[in-house]
Amino acid sequence: MAAVTPHRRWFLSDHPAPWLLPLVAILVVFAIYPLIYNVWLSFHEYASFRRRVEYVGWANWIQLFNDPRMWSSLTVTFIYFFAALALQLVLGMALALLLDADEPGFGLLRGLLTLTLVIPPAVTGMMFLLMEDPQFGVLSWLLNAVGLLTPATPILATPSLALAGVLLADVWQWTPFMVLIFLAGLRGLPPEPYEAAMLDGASWWTVFTRITLPMMAKVIAVAVLIRGIDLFRVFDYIFVMTSGGPGEATYTLSLYAWQQTFSFIKWGYGATLSLLMLVIVLVMANLFIWLAKVRW
Amino acid sequence: MRWSRSTSVLRQIAAWLAVGVFFFPIFFWVTTAFKPAYEIFNQPPSVWTFDVTLRNFEEVFGISLGFLRQQEVLPGGGNFYMAPRLLDSLIVGLFSTALAVAVATLAAYALSRMAFRGRHHFVNWVLSTRMMPPVAVAIPMFFIFRDTGLMDTHLGLILVHALMNLPLAVLLMKSFFDDIPAEIDESALIDGASRWLIFRRIVLPMAKGGIAATAVLCFIFSWTEFLFALTLTQTSLKTVPVVSSTFVTSTGTAWGNMAALGAVAMVPAFIFILLVQRHLVRGLTLGSLKQ
Repeated sequence: MAAVTPHRRWFLSDHPAPWLLPLVAILVVFAIYPLIYNVWLSFHEYASFRRRVEYVGWANWIQLFNDPRMWSSLTVTFIYFFAALALQLVLGMALALLLDADEPGFGLLRGLLTLTLVIPPAVTGMMFLLMEDPQFGVLSWLLNAVGLLTPATPILATPSLALAGVLLADVWQWTPFMVLIFLAGLRGLPPEPYEAAMLDGASWWTVFTRITLPMMAKVIAVAVLIRGIDLFRVFDYIFVMTSGGPGEATYTLSLYAWQQTFSFIKWGYGATLSLLMLVIVLVMANLFIWLAKVRW
Repeated sequence: MRWSRSTSVLRQIAAWLAVGVFFFPIFFWVTTAFKPAYEIFNQPPSVWTFDVTLRNFEEVFGISLGFLRQQEVLPGGGNFYMAPRLLDSLIVGLFSTALAVAVATLAAYALSRMAFRGRHHFVNWVLSTRMMPPVAVAIPMFFIFRDTGLMDTHLGLILVHALMNLPLAVLLMKSFFDDIPAEIDESALIDGASRWLIFRRIVLPMAKGGIAATAVLCFIFSWTEFLFALTLTQTSLKTVPVVSSTFVTSTGTAWGNMAALGAVAMVPAFIFILLVQRHLVRGLTLGSLKQ
């Protein structure tokens, strides 16, 4: 080891710096710098007459709280968030309990369920757009046939139904995410508590709420955290299915921030809205991590 | 728990029905790709029986299978030719995956094996970058790319997709390295091997399965990503999710063509995901749950 060049000595040492350097470099250039740029942008605005970006002080941040569209998109985002999370949790747990058995063919069923997870959400949105078409959509036709929907109702153009129409695509695509995680959790549970409960003659419901749920707490917490982070940023389904309409019925924060920047050329206000999202997600996620004691 | 025979049969029926409901949209979308227009606009919708055509594939991929007459005017004025878009998606997916996995593997080894001050905080920092809403990255990135010439280039999108996948890749690779006993490294260190040699010759070969699973997930997330691809590309490249919405034209939506592209785009992802079933849950939970 006589002729070790300086850059090789780095890799021969036991110091973590050279190993972490590429990661830190990418995160600084592509995460920290854009974040700083975004904060700078939120104190500026594009003046379309003079064709330049000008300093506007706190104007964007003040506008944020006096903007009825911001409040309505925040409301829609939270309704979407909680409705989708609740549906996916309950459906996911029900399906996981159903599939948690060594029956023949269940391995295949678990495999089939994973397929929804790898479809581009934009394509999923298109799939449901076709199925929910009022004229020739198979889902509209089915809902008409069972009498749940009057014929030719445009689901995605009816204010009271549009959000449910978009939610359906999300629930379809991501319930299997919950199923797979819960199944892995259920399969890993120890059998002893169940044997003891059987001897005591406990009912199915008691076993589920007193044994299964508490033992699954960590698994459920992780699933809620990861799904929650992704639900709050929902964009793809909305963008391809409704573009936020009808009116503001499906207008979410992500879409609002994106449109302010790229459709209305309000660069500074769009940046401010996206920072608002960032703050809400960081606060909610870290609060949840702390409360649920999730650890990596 | 033991189940009686009748419960078992009921359970089988319920499970197949439930999964069938989830599988139906995929079945319907794939069959739509094989339908001529009059079957797609049929009322009631044709689900199980319909006339079959390969026209949609011919138009989208520019191949000739005998369903399209020569010199026929193509729908969308020939704008539905999407083979180059598949290539764009593939280039972005493969290179961003390679970059993310390479960088993440190095970092994850250090995070798994070397004790240093603030390691826990460093892991949390990596995790918190996973929480950033894409729109909060895409807006400043649009202006940075515009000023640096990365706008509308493969390289730009590759870098952003790699960034997007880094938290997943780092945390997942760390969990795979944590599975390999540290004693192996320590005894090799005592024998005089360097960290780099141990990493390359001992740990990397042992973590091959984990690296493959990480790579597959990174590729799928890049393959399906929409917001960055929509914002940071214009004309010189477009990925499959972004062009999916371009089949909506002023004269109606070309559902058959769109379904043909969508169906073909699903196939590689389906094959990949079935190959890594064993590590899927660990991957979906960023390495925090093991199957």
